[in-house]
Amino acid sequence: MSLESRMAKKTTHLKNDFQESTDLALFVRTSNEDMDGWNRQKIVAALVRETYLDVETAERISKEVEDVIMSSKIGVLTSPLIRELVDAKLIEYGLEKARKMHTRLGMPLYDVDQLILRPNRENANVPHGPEATNLTLAESIKKEYALLSVFSQEVGDAHMRGDIHLHDLGFCDRPYCSGQSLEYVKKFGLHLPNAASVAQPAKHAEVLLAHMVKFSATLQGHFAGAIGWDAVNLFFAPYLRGLSDREIHQLAQMMIFEFSQQAVARGGQAIFSDINLYWEIPKHFADVPAIGPGGKYTGLTYADYTEEAQKFVWSLFEVYLDGDASGRPFFFPKPLVHITEKFFQTPRHQEFLDFICKVASEKGNTYFVFDRGDTAKISQCCRLSFKLEASDLADASQPWKMRYTALQNVTVNLPRIGYLAKGDDTTLFSKLTDVMELAARAHLHKRVFIEKLLALGELGPLSILSMKHDGSSYLRLNKASYLMGMVGLNELVQIHCGEELHQSNKALKLGLRIISHMKIVSEKLSKKHHLKFVLEQTPAESTAYRFAKLDLRYHSPASGAVVKGDLSKGEVYYTNSTLLNVGAPINPIERVKTEGLFHPLITAGSISHIWLGEAKPPAESLANFVTKTFHQTQNDQVAFSPEFTSCNDCNKTSRGLKDNCSYCGSDNVDGITRITGYFTKTSIWNKGKKGELTDRHRNAELFTQKMNKVRNLKEVI
Amino acid sequence: MLVLKAFWQKNCPRCPQMKTVTEELKQDGYVVEYYDLSTVDGLAEGAYHSVMSAPTLLLVDEDDQELAEWRGVVPSPDEVKREWAMM
Ligand SMILES: [Zn+2]
Repeated sequence: MSLESRMAKKTTHLKNDFQESTDLALFVRTSNEDMDGWNRQKIVAALVRETYLDVETAERISKEVEDVIMSSKIGVLTSPLIRELVDAKLIEYGLEKARKMHTRLGMPLYDVDQLILRPNRENANVPHGPEATNLTLAESIKKEYALLSVFSQEVGDAHMRGDIHLHDLGFCDRPYCSGQSLEYVKKFGLHLPNAASVAQPAKHAEVLLAHMVKFSATLQGHFAGAIGWDAVNLFFAPYLRGLSDREIHQLAQMMIFEFSQQAVARGGQAIFSDINLYWEIPKHFADVPAIGPGGKYTGLTYADYTEEAQKFVWSLFEVYLDGDASGRPFFFPKPLVHITEKFFQTPRHQEFLDFICKVASEKGNTYFVFDRGDTAKISQCCRLSFKLEASDLADASQPWKMRYTALQNVTVNLPRIGYLAKGDDTTLFSKLTDVMELAARAHLHKRVFIEKLLALGELGPLSILSMKHDGSSYLRLNKASYLMGMVGLNELVQIHCGEELHQSNKALKLGLRIISHMKIVSEKLSKKHHLKFVLEQTPAESTAYRFAKLDLRYHSPASGAVVKGDLSKGEVYYTNSTLLNVGAPINPIERVKTEGLFHPLITAGSISHIWLGEAKPPAESLANFVTKTFHQTQNDQVAFSPEFTSCNDCNKTSRGLKDNCSYCGSDNVDGITRITGYFTKTSIWNKGKKGELTDRHRNAELFTQKMNKVRNLKEVI
Repeated sequence: MLVLKAFWQKNCPRCPQMKTVTEELKQDGYVVEYYDLSTVDGLAEGAYHSVMSAPTLLLVDEDDQELAEWRGVVPSPDEVKREWAMM
């Protein structure tokens, strides 16, 4: 007999049973917003439908639950309460697996109350409002669902304990982050499954911009993290031919305001967006036929549009330099300028470099991405980049194919391995291998789940990612990466050898051995599982705080001496990824050089942050710094972060983090600076990040001094 | 004390050539350390010295400062000896 016919038989049988036993004058508030009479058979039906229990057992449990309810003096019965009583019975009977399958996901009244009234501190990009509350509520249920149903118990427990961190569990039904090509939008227009209307390929620059922004908003609903766009100024260029400088500037302004003010999408969040920009025409696009208005080839190559591309990128930075109407820096989209060998051979590169360094000094927006040798990268997320491989470079001749994704990010709590290893090298490296194998299993679970959703095709929840305008699915799963992140290398080294990364060559070399080990293990795991596992510097906006808190709970007193921040205020954190202690007074060029030693090992992208504080170094100093960083270090990416105080009364913005507005004295001010990969108001930061902010070493004076080429670390400490 | 650090890798066409040179130097009493870039220790040491390709030969002092470097090229034994003598 098939399962369905057995179930059907059961239902008939149950209906008769039900008529004999309903004499309870109890009403149940159901989840369908109505009141129902007591009906024991609903318990039986739920147990049989949701778990593997047989009817007899289900009957017995339902009767016992009925007895409990009848002998109590419960006034109003709710379906969650009944479910809890049933679950308690399942535990009594030792039916653990059935109880798990019968779990109700949701939140306590108190928590919902807090959530509606208080802002979310896990992600500073989420403002506080009804839409944000919806997002958090949905996330909390999906998080529970992920831990119960997407990932195995073993992986879920490791996450809860803080051995690893599974990022964006509340977005478990989406890939992690992505890199997009404007060429797709130019060629195919906006033609999304299930959309109310279809738009032809854009004929004008403004329309292309509208398509780009709308598509970004749609994609934000399908990815957990950032939406990155490749070579934006270049791909816009064919639409700019014949436009006046004023019109181009206007378009640049529209682009930045559209992205930064799109706070209507997911949970009221701005779209976490990156635009990748080039001064030169990157080698891999120079000879590619350009697509222009109407999605048609213009008959020229991208190299022919150098002038338009350069005008556009210059205009974008003029807008960044102005800031918003109150002079604050734009939070999004983040401009990532790629510096390649060809950059230095392109006319007026120095002028451009000085200009974007001026923006970096004044407003901090500019990210400098270094593509040395033959690498070409698409940076996205907080600091994720992909080195384009040979097959990708072949795709470059049809750039609409260049769509990339990282399916999931799993971060390893490195300091915890230190507490467990107790100074023993063998234990350290074998525990590290174990935890990476566990992370790989987590990735496999997520992959299986996403494949299941994609298999539902255009009727499934990820229909947009399965659209096939160019013959293959929008989401190119075969090109997906699986990120292995790390937090607290500095603290692991400190625990294991007694010194932090910047304190001795011995400590630095231990750090390099640990990351080399991770790289080699990730390569072995890639071969074993046929998935591309790559190391990434985790942005760790909340993970660095979470790991530190959990280690204070599970590994005291050892952790108390290692965790950074202010323990008395609970503002604790671990140093992000492979970074050096943020508070150590290290010369910036030395920081960039030493941190850069790790970057070639971390395939999916790295960054060094230089905190400027109140200082506004001359553009030429920064330009000199950037050039040196490109030629003399292996550093992948650099950003300079100034701090601002923005006044809510007089609407002016001043330099530095201050308690009072320096124009009108008001204390109704917001501090603004970079949290990890983006600018936000510091008032909404989590406690760990607040602790880090206090500790950050501002390099105020160092840019004005002569920056010597210092190789030996001891000289600078 | 000076040390020659030789970075090599399997299937690297010019690595055997470097090895011939370093073995000759070793026999003449020079200190040579070999690092296989496909191992954890080799990769870490390579990262420390920003070694991006094999073969690479470095002459370093006791503080691990690079005094001379041959990246992607193989020097003659005499060339190495000259650099060593100058330090
Ligand atoms: Zn004011």
